[in-house]
Amino acid sequence: MARIISFSKALNEAMTQEMERDENVFILGEDVAKMGGDFGITTGIWERWPNRAFDTALSESAITGLCCGASVCGLRPVAELMFADFITVCYDQLVNNAAKLNYMYQGEASAQMVVRAVTGGGIRCAYHHSQCIEPWLMNIPGLVIVAPATPYEAKGLLVASIRNNNPVVFLEHKHLYNVKGEVPEELYEIPLYEAHVEREGTDITIVAAMSMLKFAQKAADEMAAKGISVEIINPRTIFPLDKETIKESVAKTGRLIVVQEGPKVMGYGAEIGAMLGEELFEYLKAPIKRVTSLDTPVPFAPGMEDYVLPHYEDVITACNEVMAY
Amino acid sequence: MALSKEHLLKVYEDMLLIRRFEEEVEVYAKNGTIPGFIHLSIGQEAAQAGVVDVLKDTDYKFPDHRGHGAIVLSSKPEERKRCMSEIFAKATGINGGRGGSMHVHDLSVRNMGFNGIQGSTVVTALGTAFNSVYRKNDDVTVVFMGDGTLGEGTCHESLNMSATWKLPLVYVLINNQYAISTHYTEAHPQKQLSTWGLGYEVPSMTIDGNDIEEVIEVTQQAVDRARRGEGPTLIEMMSYRWQGHFSGDPAAYRPDGELEAWKEKDPLKLAKEKLQEKHGVSDAEIQAISDRVEVEIAEYVKFSLESPVPKPEDAVKYVYTDREVEGR
Ligand SMILES: Cc1ncc(C[n+]2csc(CCOP(=O)(O)OP(=O)(O)O)c2C)c(N)n1
Ligand SMILES: [Mg+2]
Repeated sequence: MARIISFSKALNEAMTQEMERDENVFILGEDVAKMGGDFGITTGIWERWPNRAFDTALSESAITGLCCGASVCGLRPVAELMFADFITVCYDQLVNNAAKLNYMYQGEASAQMVVRAVTGGGIRCAYHHSQCIEPWLMNIPGLVIVAPATPYEAKGLLVASIRNNNPVVFLEHKHLYNVKGEVPEELYEIPLYEAHVEREGTDITIVAAMSMLKFAQKAADEMAAKGISVEIINPRTIFPLDKETIKESVAKTGRLIVVQEGPKVMGYGAEIGAMLGEELFEYLKAPIKRVTSLDTPVPFAPGMEDYVLPHYEDVITACNEVMAY
Repeated sequence: MALSKEHLLKVYEDMLLIRRFEEEVEVYAKNGTIPGFIHLSIGQEAAQAGVVDVLKDTDYKFPDHRGHGAIVLSSKPEERKRCMSEIFAKATGINGGRGGSMHVHDLSVRNMGFNGIQGSTVVTALGTAFNSVYRKNDDVTVVFMGDGTLGEGTCHESLNMSATWKLPLVYVLINNQYAISTHYTEAHPQKQLSTWGLGYEVPSMTIDGNDIEEVIEVTQQAVDRARRGEGPTLIEMMSYRWQGHFSGDPAAYRPDGELEAWKEKDPLKLAKEKLQEKHGVSDAEIQAISDRVEVEIAEYVKFSLESPVPKPEDAVKYVYTDREVEGR
């Protein structure tokens, strides 16, 4: 029987084991050392390596700037952004520095850094602590955006991100931290840039990342009971996107639904929809559907927030619509 | 500067009101009635009440995330219960339940609200201060910030610009020792953070932020200076938050005895001692204040509990000024 641990523990293990293996890896961020991080993800690392875990001032620009500089010297920094929303404060360092270093140095050095960013809504913390930020970074060639959905992926993708020589923004959805699943004890990598077919099917393709994967799985079960076969694709890396896996799937099913937690405008749903319109037009049997948040900031009051975030029933409605078309 | 008996009685009552406000908020945060997370300012009443006491309704106020006290005292008495119902995520809340604890603002008294991104209001405050210069009026801007927030680059940019342009801005830096778990001496090299202003030639001082008389005196001087067009001041007010960073944080990073030592310096206790020892205020008078505050707070709580939740559909309002976003 494989070992069952939480998503949080899987992340912690990825960092710990990579630090054991490679002394160039270190962690830094606000409250990540002595306290083990605001969400407890780096617990125990400072106790083991007091010289490789650093509590910083509230200085996200300095944190990411330091990562850029340290990584061109060959170190492998892993920084934590307590909330992904704060990425705006270090946006310049990510967009105009990290993402361009390999290009600028023509491959001689690069920003081999990971910024772990705590993302997503549903915790009643209003518009500055709930956003899905991947669209803000998706048109920055040079950056990699990784988005695990399970504990197994949390560990394998974080290990791969630490070893990758590009700047990786590693999205950790708050609602997944306590999710438990099978995670091997030994070190392993899940390759970046590869989507995963979570379940095979023939009628509808659902693409869903992070916390939205559970909606897709539930919908697939519900549709299966009605004789409709759903294929689920979890992108794992949101940018650059594994177009081939998605295209192969939609070429087979002819129907696509993208479930995305953030607002509808310009998310990965928009990119996948445009890509299929361009490259797979003749295979489509029905319009592409997106199930997303409304195009508003995330409000505080629970009823309002629930109204704005994606609804599971909308996934079912979308399935029925694409089948009926 | 010693305050008159009447003045000290007034600010004592203000402090007691915000202490009790926070204690009630804590009860309802702990039992799950209040959603999300809450940063309580218990222990920091003097810094908030003293600063607000000096300001006019037309002065611009930027409270920070630990600013329930400044928020409540800035609001008109009849609006204060709506500060609480906002924190309860209710439709009657001063922001209709959209914002919650971190985003309570009230433009009618120029409480400009907080921005969840630390260091953001420190530069927004440049704009309101600039407005006073541009329009040649004497409104002053006060921005509250924490010792940790000082680490954000915006703090340097703000000090530099306000000093160069002599903007009517007062930086109230409440040094409550910690930014979450990180002691200020582990995040900054200085023993006193008021030295940050000196490089920008901004008059800067460190004071006892738990002594309401000192807070009022020094803030008054800074505000007067700003009104005279002489530029910004940075006041570091030493204080301590009794609770953890957020309600529910066990604050295991604090050394034993630290909290107890600071409780000895309770701003309410200090003010009460002064009232009784220097001004001969009787136990009965103190009790009468408590009784008034209890009635007031009980009303806020009742109002907050009884208020309806916002209509979910209203979430699509106010995204743009001139159009609505599609709902479900
Ligand atoms: C840009 C940004 N970084 C980090 C945070 C998370 N955060 C919120 S409050 C806080 C600590 C602030 O400390 P301080 O300024 O001393 O205020 P205190 O909480 O002590 O009142 C942190 C790290 C944030 N909200 N915004
Ligand atoms: Mg502090």
